[in-house]
Parts: sequence; C-alpha cells; structure tokens
Amino acid sequence: MMKKTMLAALATGLFALQAYAADTVRIAITGPFTGGSAPMGVSMRDGAKLAIDEINRAGGIQVGAKKMKIEVIERDDEAKNERGALIAQELTSMKDLAGVIGTVNTGVCLAGDKYCQEKGLTKIITPAAGSASMTQWSKAGVKDLSIFRFSADDGIQASMVVEEAINRRFTKVAIIHDSTNYGVSGRDDLLNQIRKQGNRLQVVATEKFNIGDKDMTAQLLKAKFGGAQAILIWGIGPELAAVSNGMAKLGMKVPLIGGWTLSMSNYIDNAGKNGNGTLMPQTFIEDPITPKARSFIESYHKTYGVSRIPSPMSAAQGYDAVYIFAAAVKQAKSTDTHKIKDALEDLKEPVKGVIATWKHPYSKWNPADEQTHEAFRRDRVVMGMVQDGRVVFANQADRQRLMKNAGQ
Amino acid sequence: MYTLLIVQLAVSGALMGMVYALVAYGFQLTFATSKSINFGQGELVMLSALFSLTLIDTGLPYWLVVPGGMLFGAALGLFVERAGVRLALEQKSEGWILLTIILGLLGFSTAENIWGRDDRPFPTPIPSDPLHFFGIDVTPLELSVAVGVLTVMGLVELFKRKTLLGKAFEAVSADRDAAQLMGISATRTIQLSYGLSGLVAAMAGILVAPITTVGPTMASVLVLKAFSVAVVAGLDSGFGVVLVGLFLGALESLTSFYLGSGWREAPGLVLLILALAVRPNGVFGKATIRKV
Repeated sequence: MMKKTMLAALATGLFALQAYAADTVRIAITGPFTGGSAPMGVSMRDGAKLAIDEINRAGGIQVGAKKMKIEVIERDDEAKNERGALIAQELTSMKDLAGVIGTVNTGVCLAGDKYCQEKGLTKIITPAAGSASMTQWSKAGVKDLSIFRFSADDGIQASMVVEEAINRRFTKVAIIHDSTNYGVSGRDDLLNQIRKQGNRLQVVATEKFNIGDKDMTAQLLKAKFGGAQAILIWGIGPELAAVSNGMAKLGMKVPLIGGWTLSMSNYIDNAGKNGNGTLMPQTFIEDPITPKARSFIESYHKTYGVSRIPSPMSAAQGYDAVYIFAAAVKQAKSTDTHKIKDALEDLKEPVKGVIATWKHPYSKWNPADEQTHEAFRRDRVVMGMVQDGRVVFANQADRQRLMKNAGQ
Repeated sequence: MYTLLIVQLAVSGALMGMVYALVAYGFQLTFATSKSINFGQGELVMLSALFSLTLIDTGLPYWLVVPGGMLFGAALGLFVERAGVRLALEQKSEGWILLTIILGLLGFSTAENIWGRDDRPFPTPIPSDPLHFFGIDVTPLELSVAVGVLTVMGLVELFKRKTLLGKAFEAVSADRDAAQLMGISATRTIQLSYGLSGLVAAMAGILVAPITTVGPTMASVLVLKAFSVAVVAGLDSGFGVVLVGLFLGALESLTSFYLGSGWREAPGLVLLILALAVRPNGVFGKATIRKV
C-alpha cells in the first residue's frame, strides 16, 4: 500500500514536472556577473530580464495554439574561459532548453560555443564583440551554424576607430591592447583596418598589458616618445582605467580611442576625470532620444534602483536579443532549439527593439560570409564619448539621425 | 630625450617600490621579535584598504580615515598574532606558517563576501595632476607614497629607540631569553610587533590604493614583491628595505620597457634567487652567529 502511494506520488511528481517544463520556454543567460567584466554581464542579464518580464506580464510567447512564459536559467562564467566551457557543457546536456543568450568575453565564446554548435543548441552571443567568435566558424567551414551574434563586431568597431583617428587628421598613433583573445584580435583588426583605409596612420608603438596590470608607464612612455597623437586601445574596464590614469600621470593629453568597452562603468568610475573625451563605438547611448529608449531607461533605473546603467549598450543588446529570440520562438511555433535556429535565419516579422526595429536581422548561414549571422551593420553604430561620468553622443549628427529614423 | 625616458621610468618605478619596502618592513617587525612572519600580510593590506574605503563612503574626512584604517590594521595584526602565531610559538612549532596562510585566505574570502570582487576607485584629496621636475612627471599622489612610507617607518623606528616599550621591543629582538630574564614579557612584545606590523600594512594599503584601485586581489602581487624585497635586503636590515624597494621598483619598470611588460615580475624573482644563493642573510643583513 505504502509502496503504491509512493509510486503514485512519484509518478504524479514526474508528470507535474514534465507538464511544467512543457509550459515554459527555457532560456539560459550566461555571462560574467562578478569580476572585471561584470558591468557588461550584469547589464546584459538585467536588460534581458526586463524584456522577459515584459513578455511574461503580457502572458508569454504565442507558441502555436498556446501562450508560454519564459523561464530563465542564469549562469555566471566569471569571464573565465574554463568556466565558460563547463557551463556550455552543462547547458547542452539540458533536455528542453530553447536556447542561450549571452557571453561577454570572446575567450569564453571560443572555449564554450563549440559544445553548443555540436549539439545544435541555438545561441545568440551578446555583447561579446571579438571577431574570432564568429570567424572561427567560417574558418572551420561549418555548413550549418547554431551560433548567432547580436553585437557590433570588432571589425566594424575597429574601422570606426581608425576612421575617427583619420578624420581628426592624426598621422601617428600607438596601439595598446590586453593580452586576452579579445585584445589580440582587436589589435589585428586595427592593423587590418589601417591597411584597408590606405595606410594613412603610422603605428609608432604596439604594446600589450595583462589583466590586473595597474602600472602602464612603460607602454605609455613608448607611445609618448614615439610621438603618438592618439592611442588606439583594446581591453576591458579596470585596465583601460589604469591606462587613462597613467596618461594623466605622464601628462599625456592625447585622446584615447578604442573598443566599446571604454563605456563600461568600471572604466568610467576608475578613470574619473581622466576619462573625459575618450571615444568609443556604441550601439546604444543612455539618452532618451526616442519614446522606446526613454521607457527602457526609466524601467531599468526603476527596476534595479540605479541612476545609471553600468553598461547601457549591454543592457540594450540583452533586451533586444530576447525580443528577437522570442520572435523566432513564435515563428517556429515550437520550443525546439533547432526549429528556433531555422526561424532566426529567416525572421519574417520586424522586431521592435530599443536599439532599432530589426528587419530580417539574420539569414541562412554562409561559411564564406559570417555577416549572415551578424545582426549589426556599420550604420547601427555611433561614436560615443565619455563626459563627466557618462557616455554621450560624440557627434550631434548621429543623435539627430537616430531621432529622425525613429520618427519615421 | 632618451636619458629623460630612462629617468622617468626609473623614478615612477622606484616610487612604487617604496610600497614594497613598507610591506617588507612589516615582515621585519614581526621577524625581529619572534622569528615569525605573517604570510597573510597582503590580505591585511587589502582588508585595511577596503575598510578605509568604507570609512570614506560614510563621509569621514581623509585625515580621520588614515588613522582609522591604521587602527583597523593594527587590530587585524593583533588578531593574527592571537589566532595564528602565539600557540605555535609556545609549542616551538612552525605551525604559524600554515596558520597565517590560512588566516590570509579567510581574509580574502571575507573581503569577497563583504565588498565583492570588483576593483573600485579610492578617492583622496591628494591631486593626481603631474608636477614637472627637470622634465620628469611626478604626481603628488606618488610623492605622498614616498612621504607616507618614510614617515611611518621613521615614527616606528623612533618609537623603538626612544620609548621604554620600544626598548623592550629591541631587547626581545636582540635576545628573547635574556630579555625575559630581565622581566620583559616576550609574549607582550611579540603581540606589540604584530600590532605594529598590521599598522604598517594598513598604511601601505591606504597609500597605494588611490594609484592601483581597491579590490580583494589588490595586494596579491604586491606582497610577493615585498617578500622578495625583505629577503633580498635581509629580514633584519631596517632601512635597507627602502633601498632594495627603490631598486626593485625601478628595475621592474625598466625591464617592462626593454623586455616587454610580460617580463615585469621577473626581476623580483631573479633577485630573490640571487640573494638566496649569494647572500642568504640579505644584502644589508647581519650574519647571525648561532651559539650552541
């Protein structure tokens, strides 16, 4: 008798679990929620959860005949490649996972994404920007790819950085980068772009630093004595701040232009007034220029009790990525990760996001052209500038253009 | 132009080397009285800096934060002595090595749990705009490190030489058994030395924090360098650590310029190995004669 009731209980329990699982769309959000990359990871997660809350409050995603709510699984990869690999393995072993959104660090992408690809688990990378995380697939000649990216890749960013230096009529620049996969691939992108844009910049010094370095005197002096008129840089928050502070210490008054990581709060805070005037490409600026942007910024501030988003573009990208993913689930009429991938490659309906309205962001993967799985093009990205602890539009023309686009 | 560059590198490096010297001095203080050192000294530096940052966040003025942080450091030093060193010394065992390492790890986890893992800026009223001396740029912040280090070391040395308690300290350092026969409590003196050592560590933390930012890992490299400095100079060399600290700092800076920044940590280790091979008592240390 006892045994029977227990079995029955167990059976109902199992059944309940299954029923529960089948009623939700399970999405994993991964990224560094602690450590030096945390401002990006946390903002991305919180931006994504804002979108998920909105969707769930409206009853969920329309999947075929019924509405399904989104269930979030969070994993902190601590920006460590080996943790990223472990998490990816864990996620691919989950049965009914619809997909993954996240990853901030290019190294973590390189370590973990191969497991997702092996099992065909659909993943939208955001906001990791290193070129290598997508070019690795075209180099390998993969025929069918389940990895998408929702971030302005370093190729676009590097071209903007070089363009900016040329527009400012500089002729001599120094390149400084960190020794991670992100920094090294950023350096290569910069050198590539300098060649592409007609070799008009002479690189007087190419220097690197390690994560955790606080003293950049040696690298900066090489730039200074080489006569650099600008420093082009690729790294993340804390070390970037060390570079800015080191420049102030040596009385170097040349602009710092680099990857979008220069908009991270731990750069802006640790560099303080030394960060003013720093330029970087941005996909989103915390400036309520459109009603959609205003409501997004306000609800972020209110929900998380902050007066400034730690990394505004990570938050906005996380938010838009969720809406794009949700649109794919709706179109696929299924929570099956393979079907969602097919839907992502051919999204019929435009998706209204906070950065832009996304019309057909991805297309069928073509190993010869990784742009097929990249959502951002050059015209979606603007130059941002640090000013008194915030990132603002560097060119008013960009601000006007975006306002006009939104008005149409 | 080129000499200027070298001088600039050497000066910036040497000023950072002063912090190594101060932490190394903390090793010396406890080694003198008890022949033991706190392997968790780096965590003392870090915890005191984080505590001071909390004091600043509460709105306390800087000139009150500094003594506040130093008292906290001294208290931590006393705690390490009581929890990790005294019992081991009483039993004439080397258990303090492991115990101080463990206490250090505990301090690290505590810091991560209370203050989080992120590096944060440490505001100070000392300006960071560079001053020019003969073509070299030095910030008041870097100068404050040099002044702070020398002041603290000077005060501690004065205390040791001019006060009764300080003389007891010197007596125990010279010969613990004889001092005890003269009625000086060795336990009390060792306690005092750990308190002073904690105080010095806290000062190092407060001085270096505005330059390097504050976080749980801020002192992990610093303490290794300081250890090299202490051993190279000799664990009983007094102001010798300052010279070695200056030298190592300048050397690191020049190495990272000429060999690349990846080689930055190399000179400290090379010096350590050389010192142990050629002068095990340190460059400025006295060869001890052990009487049986």
